[in-house]
Amino acid sequence: MTTPQSPGGSTSGDAPQDERAPQYIYGVTRSGAALPGDVLGLDDKPVTLVEDGGVCAAIVSDLPQGRALGERADLVAHQRVLNALVDAGTVVLPFRFGAALADRAAVEKELLAGNSERFGQILEQLDGMVELRVKATYVQDAVLREIMTGDPEIAELSQRLREVPPDAADAVYYDRIRLGELIAQTMERMREADGQTLLDGAAPAAEAAVTKTPAREEDVLDASFLVRADKRAEFEQAVDKLATDHGERVKVRLIGPLPPYDFVPEE
Amino acid sequence: MTGPIAQQTSGTNQVQRGGSGSGLADVVDLILEKGLVIDLYARVSLVGIEILTVDVRIVVASVDTYLRFAEAVNRLDIAHDGTSQGLPEFVGGMQESGAKKKTRGALEGAQERLKETFGGDEDSDEEKQSARRRSSRKKEDEES
Repeated sequence: MTTPQSPGGSTSGDAPQDERAPQYIYGVTRSGAALPGDVLGLDDKPVTLVEDGGVCAAIVSDLPQGRALGERADLVAHQRVLNALVDAGTVVLPFRFGAALADRAAVEKELLAGNSERFGQILEQLDGMVELRVKATYVQDAVLREIMTGDPEIAELSQRLREVPPDAADAVYYDRIRLGELIAQTMERMREADGQTLLDGAAPAAEAAVTKTPAREEDVLDASFLVRADKRAEFEQAVDKLATDHGERVKVRLIGPLPPYDFVPEE
Repeated sequence: MTGPIAQQTSGTNQVQRGGSGSGLADVVDLILEKGLVIDLYARVSLVGIEILTVDVRIVVASVDTYLRFAEAVNRLDIAHDGTSQGLPEFVGGMQESGAKKKTRGALEGAQERLKETFGGDEDSDEEKQSARRRSSRKKEDEES
């Protein structure tokens, strides 16, 4: 059984659907879920559900033909489709970018038929939750000042290098590297403590948290939180408070709600 | 893409919001590294999808980084007060740093790919040219 349209859902798929067209898969949701009416997929193709009569439905669109995926617009489209469901309060199990199957029948038989129960369990766990991501970065000048005033060796070296005329800078190249290295080491020690403080401040209102390795030296924390919809305000208040309390030296950003990418069981 | 994150509210202690329309940079690692993977990925190559991976980690003990800090501290001294700009704030995260910083070592390949993928509207001419050079070189290789 193939259900090309969700009941009461989108009517944006009124373009004739080719049952043989390869399908790109954005994620999985509950069968019968209402798709936001105006959301467009890759290459602005209409997004539809494929259902197999079980508890789950795959969120799909036709796969663009004649080119490889992976452009910026493709990633944006992937995110846009999933976020449209999240924004509508619909539980969604996000797929990693790049999943596709031969046609709608394959989505039904190869994806849904064998996995419906497992998907259903995951959806059950994720229902009513959103992912919120907190990224915190040092305010560079404030933290550099902190480091300089807190470490005589750094202060001294910095002072000495400052007195070197610019045209002689090459002569102290290795001293400059040494200075930067000392700063980076100090910053890393600070990050451990500060990152933990921020994590501890945000975590109580969340059901789960995942921290990521910061990508840059100035990053203090990069963490995703699984937050119940009814506790979202509480969580955001906690993050607001962190931003206020530490704003002199740490910039806090809150990203989301996002599909619960970080809380999909890995297998 | 201009999401809310593009608007910096520097000088305030408020949390910066990136809503669901967040910039790609804030979610790209999730899209490419997280989310459900099932065995159907074996089929992906059949339909011509190029799967990218993001590997953005701190480049350990990078001389570039050290010099950057040394320079920042130097400028800090001159400025004295808190009004100096300091280093540009990398709000966009790895997207910008991947695209604009000269990188080396093992990450180079991945970041080159990312550069081509995400460069988009932010590409500098230099990057466009080097991308063109790369592709034309590839063409020559194929022809020869």
